[in-house]
Amino acid sequence: MIINTILFISLILIIFCVLATIYRIVKGPSSTERIQALDALGIYIIAGVAVFSILQRSTAYFEVILLLGILSFIVTIAFARFIERGVVIERNNNN
Amino acid sequence: MNAITIIELGIAIIILIGTIVGFFSVIGFLRLPDVYNRAHALSKSAALGVLFVLVGTFLFFLFIEGYFSIKLFLGIFFVFLTSPVSSHIICRTAYRSNVPLAEISVRDDLKEAIFVDKEINN
Amino acid sequence: MAMQVLANLLIGLLWVFFQDDWSVLTFFSGYLFGLFVIFILRRFLPTKFYLFTLHAVFRLILLFITEIIVSSIVVISIIIRPKMNIKPGIFSMETTLKGDVEVTLLALLITLTPGSVVVEISEDNKIFYIHTMDIPDLSNSVLKSKDRFENAIKKVTRS
Repeated sequence: MIINTILFISLILIIFCVLATIYRIVKGPSSTERIQALDALGIYIIAGVAVFSILQRSTAYFEVILLLGILSFIVTIAFARFIERGVVIERNNNN
Repeated sequence: MNAITIIELGIAIIILIGTIVGFFSVIGFLRLPDVYNRAHALSKSAALGVLFVLVGTFLFFLFIEGYFSIKLFLGIFFVFLTSPVSSHIICRTAYRSNVPLAEISVRDDLKEAIFVDKEINN
Repeated sequence: MAMQVLANLLIGLLWVFFQDDWSVLTFFSGYLFGLFVIFILRRFLPTKFYLFTLHAVFRLILLFITEIIVSSIVVISIIIRPKMNIKPGIFSMETTLKGDVEVTLLALLITLTPGSVVVEISEDNKIFYIHTMDIPDLSNSVLKSKDRFENAIKKVTRS
């Protein structure tokens, strides 16, 4: 099966990408860079799960793709607001 | 070499193109000097690579298994829509929390604008 | 636009009732018939025929996809150069668009053009502060394609 070989090659490339983003999470000098690397990590894990679902010929992993897509976006927004203002949910008490 | 084999091969090539684009973008992610430049590599190339991979998966299950997955379609739409927004949010946060630009930067209009704003407010 | 879609759905449902044949195909033919009726009556309606708006939305999505492909090719060709001699920087750009939806769409489109990310938008939604990877070339290309984007967005929102 030639398709399985090609899919394995792309899975190896994706694993390298995940390792590179983890390196950036550990090393990155500022916390903004860590958030950016987490965002990229979510995107690459989505790609890895998609390739894996083709290798398994199974549709059971699609919920994982959808939920990771939504969750990584929300986590990015929440962390960014936390770093910018110190809180995630703002309450307008003083005006 | 029947039709299904050719379709499988085409889908595998689409997925390989997507992963190669993602691989190049991660090389840029490691090489570029600061947060703002890395956002360029991530917001476009990584999103495009993942879009190729997801579209390949979608086509595989549509043609080979005959299964139209609305969840995967929603996932493609969501990734495509949210990747520029999250990169913009990250850049804004970085600028507001005083992450410096790289030394090779040549121009910074925003610094003057924010400086003038603060002077007026005080 | 929403009223026209609702009227069209109503005509499709009425078609199903008249035919007394409850299937998707009947509803679809009724929907096509309703589309035809609204197309004939389009001069008497307060807003534009909604298929034209839909066509503009489709053009906008096509613009998004072509921009993301072109821009990743440009960014990758910068990345894989052995010596990266780039001049990054932040420049400002004025826009004539008004309202939250239009400004959001323009910011999305500019983020997808080669080597540019919107860092900040001024308080009165008029000035964009854009970060680019290469100041003289890529900022000129952004300024050139700004009019194209603004026209495509205005066709969707102001019709």
